[in-house]
Amino acid sequence: MAASIAQFCVKFLPKRLQLMHQQTSCWLWRRGRGKITHTHFSSSSSLNQPKQLKHVINYQRTRAEVARALRKKQNFLHHEMVDKHRASPLQSGTEQVSEEKGEGAPREYRYVMPEFLPNPDFQYRDKVLEKMERRDMLRRRAVIDIPEFYVGSIMAVTVSDPYSSGKTNRFVGICIDRGGRGLKAYFVLRNVVDGLGVEVMYEMYNPTVHSIQVLRLEKRLDDQLYYLRNAPLEHSTFSFDMQPVTLPRDVPVPVNTTKVKLNPKPWEYRWERFNLKGIEPLPLTPKMEKGIKEHAKPWEDYDLMLKYRQTVNEDEERSIMAEVYQENTRIDAGRKSSRAVLRRKK
Amino acid sequence: MASKSVMTLGVRPLSHSFIGSTPSAIYLGTNSVCVQQVRHRRFPKFVVRPTARRPWHVRKWTEKRDETLDASNEQFVKEVIIDKYANTASSPLKDGPWERHSYLRETRRSGVLALKLGTLLHWKKDGTPFTVTVLQVLDNHVINYVPPEVYATYPSHNPHQGLRFGLQVVGSLSCDPRQFSKPYNNLFLKAGVPPKRWLTRFLVTPDAAIQPGTALDVNHFKVGDYVDTQGRTRDYGFQGVIKRWGMKGMPKSHGTTKSERKMGATGGGGDKDGIWKGKHMPGMMGNYLRTMYGLKICRINTRYNLLYLAGVGVPGLPHTFIRVSDTVLPRKQRTEEQMSQVSMPTSFPEDLVEPLPEEIFTDDVFQFTEPSLQLEAEDS
Repeated sequence: MAASIAQFCVKFLPKRLQLMHQQTSCWLWRRGRGKITHTHFSSSSSLNQPKQLKHVINYQRTRAEVARALRKKQNFLHHEMVDKHRASPLQSGTEQVSEEKGEGAPREYRYVMPEFLPNPDFQYRDKVLEKMERRDMLRRRAVIDIPEFYVGSIMAVTVSDPYSSGKTNRFVGICIDRGGRGLKAYFVLRNVVDGLGVEVMYEMYNPTVHSIQVLRLEKRLDDQLYYLRNAPLEHSTFSFDMQPVTLPRDVPVPVNTTKVKLNPKPWEYRWERFNLKGIEPLPLTPKMEKGIKEHAKPWEDYDLMLKYRQTVNEDEERSIMAEVYQENTRIDAGRKSSRAVLRRKK
Repeated sequence: MASKSVMTLGVRPLSHSFIGSTPSAIYLGTNSVCVQQVRHRRFPKFVVRPTARRPWHVRKWTEKRDETLDASNEQFVKEVIIDKYANTASSPLKDGPWERHSYLRETRRSGVLALKLGTLLHWKKDGTPFTVTVLQVLDNHVINYVPPEVYATYPSHNPHQGLRFGLQVVGSLSCDPRQFSKPYNNLFLKAGVPPKRWLTRFLVTPDAAIQPGTALDVNHFKVGDYVDTQGRTRDYGFQGVIKRWGMKGMPKSHGTTKSERKMGATGGGGDKDGIWKGKHMPGMMGNYLRTMYGLKICRINTRYNLLYLAGVGVPGLPHTFIRVSDTVLPRKQRTEEQMSQVSMPTSFPEDLVEPLPEEIFTDDVFQFTEPSLQLEAEDS
């Protein structure tokens, strides 16, 4: 074999040439392997062979040329580069947004006001835009009281309605979903009116909203309660004359652990695939079990990169929430003092 | 096909060669060029991205570094740069300020170079929601002005326009001059401002020319104006025919193999055989220059230099450079009242009698400090 002869000869070469040989032997081995595969021999020495070079770099190019070729030609700037320009001493005429470094918010505050957290996708981040949006939201919150609520809370919303007789409309229902970021934040209420299920989506910062009131503050076991559409109507029926239930201060929000029994099929979605906790166990057919198995994604619980991409950086979240918390406490204090003044006047 | 392309070739003669020979014929009216209109042109015929810069553009970036600098020198050089530019930025105007004119119907002002930040949701005072696009006018300076007579000798000059327009070069985002080449840095000597990351040029009438070195900010526009925004769309790279042209592809089953996302036939037979020019095929998608016309400015933030445009369609991802200028749409020109309030050629800080408020809104936009919308109950 050519390869073994070459290895034998190499022992008599100086060290520098021996290193060179390692690359040439790779070529020789590839030629030899082709013969072996033709005669159906199994090569036991394949593990000892050096790895092949896959990528060949063209050293004829200058460093600058390589750098230019590798640079991604984008037609937009990275948001960190823009922030650098804003903070540059050469820049003038535009003020910088201030970072909040005061008293931090409690850790669970992001669940109280999730709409203040920005889009985690870095392509859509911008410090100035987020700050302006937060300022507008807090201004609106100073005008109307948007209380703490969760999916599963019973709420009453009054909006101005040009088609109703009194020009306002009040709706009571259970919050079955909550979403959106920034000024686009929304929630969905569900109730039964005249035997028909009704769902209304409200934008939280819409100027037509007059008041948002939480009648019963509680959570459910799931993040979305759209399965109430396929449950008996009694689970989503709430009286419009319901009186608000006040919780004592500093008590954790109670979790309603009722289990809903779904109607028999047909359903709007295949609820058995959603891993719902708020419904009674479903009678599963073999076909349903097969579908659950096919569509399950158990690896997502361990996908750290997925979680990283879907959440905002913890430091940024802390500074944002500190700003929101301070502003909210200031607004609340103003409300209380104004109420006290009113009482004194009476 | 052949005759059409010959006619389109004849539209642009080399104007500077004419001018060099006969100085009396500097004004090239429409009679000196072919204005035959060509119908049924397919657009775009084909898109080829230029691999080389225009020959008259200077080289921008450089990789050269002074290796002898150590950390202390580095700090010193930075201080020198800041001293040179930041502390003298207020007085680059060696010759006196230029004469100012009043705004006329045929005036075309310079624009600004803004960064797209993203979109927000806003409401009108009657409760109607609409989307706003937010742009930031960051660190803009006028770099150069080329009068019409000189611009007429440029290869990029359009002879249809004759001597109507001059060139106004505007730059955005000041940078460290060491990363740029020397010819690029020399472009900014006249204006006395640090070299800019991005340059663009606007066609302006001579009465709206701005002196180089002047800073542009958001007060160049007023609330209620309509603007055109131009920029590069999002770069998708090489894309297939379904994403690029919206073709249907083929069925995913029933015996189809390996052609679910392919195009079908490329041409007919007989008279119409062969692949016609402009056939929709896979290729580079995005990164086109696109213009969104006639967006209304509904809100202005003078502190952070933000423009809120009512509407969507401003091209590109966030942090794309956008050219913003007065609209060319005839129906959205300024009214007589607005024309008297235009800042010509741009707004100067010494013009302001009293400082502007931080936020300026149009009358129909809901401000978030206002109370909720109340409707009057009808008495009847």
